[in-house]
Amino acid sequence: MNLVQYYGLTAEQWLEYVGFLGTAGVALVSGLGVLFARRVLHAAVWLLFCLLGVAGLFALMGAHVLFGVQILVYAGAIAVMIIFAVLLLERATGRGILSGNRHLFAGVVSAGAFVVVMAPTLGVALWAAGWPSQTAPTTGQTNVALIGRLFLTRHLLAFELMSVVLLVAMIGAIVLARAERRSDAEEAPEAQGGGAAHVPTEEARPS
Amino acid sequence: MSLPPVGLAHYLAVAVLLFAMGLFAVVTRRHAIGVLLGIELMLNAASINLVAFNRFGPLVTVKPGAGVDMADGQIFALMVIALAACEAAVGLAIILRLYQTLATVEPDDADRMRW
Repeated sequence: MNLVQYYGLTAEQWLEYVGFLGTAGVALVSGLGVLFARRVLHAAVWLLFCLLGVAGLFALMGAHVLFGVQILVYAGAIAVMIIFAVLLLERATGRGILSGNRHLFAGVVSAGAFVVVMAPTLGVALWAAGWPSQTAPTTGQTNVALIGRLFLTRHLLAFELMSVVLLVAMIGAIVLARAERRSDAEEAPEAQGGGAAHVPTEEARPS
Repeated sequence: MSLPPVGLAHYLAVAVLLFAMGLFAVVTRRHAIGVLLGIELMLNAASINLVAFNRFGPLVTVKPGAGVDMADGQIFALMVIALAACEAAVGLAIILRLYQTLATVEPDDADRMRW
């Protein structure tokens, strides 16, 4: 195929570049928002946009199922749950929750050390591999069919175990987050006594 | 002058930066929920890596033209998302409980078990 090329890239590859830069930019800029937003609520909303940017990256890599799951589960459920929790905490404390950054030096050192170690490592490894940009050959199956088939054949055990893990985590979260049992037991007799005393008057009032 | 097409290196670079941001948030954020958000960032960076290696990695290019569908990296990423849901639910429950018992949400103040 003889396609017009600009700077060695076809028009399709240019489109991919634009999409990549856009989604990666959204993800990284919102990541900075997560880091430095004053209110925790704003940081959680920044996280929502960061997750959507990552979903765009998944779509660019042809992982269509992951694109949908990232939006539905990560942005739609996890991020929204975090936002709900922040709002609940704000109600409990009665004011907006602010969060500064402390240990800035330790943060810069640890994150900087990570980048300083990882960038040359990846650079050398990718250089040795010849900067791979070829995509894998496929049999023409759609991504959805492929993932569904793999989940019910080769990865069936992991799939079923994951449902058990989710169940245990939800039960654990409910047990952890609910109010103390002891205070329920202390309030129960008073509530019963109060109820018994009030019931006749409440019934007498309408009649 | 010719640009390289979007490949493994681009996605790995984004993942490295995202992971470094998550690490920074975990270390520096003063509020426990901020730490949780940092963990979410790091998990996302890991998922990007898994999917990128699945698409461009040597595992799938070892037999060119063989036409083998490999999506193990995407399956891994789906597992990461499911575990992230568990982690967020349990983490938020722990934070709510922390507020109920110690009346604080700062990880630095919850140091009763410090030696």
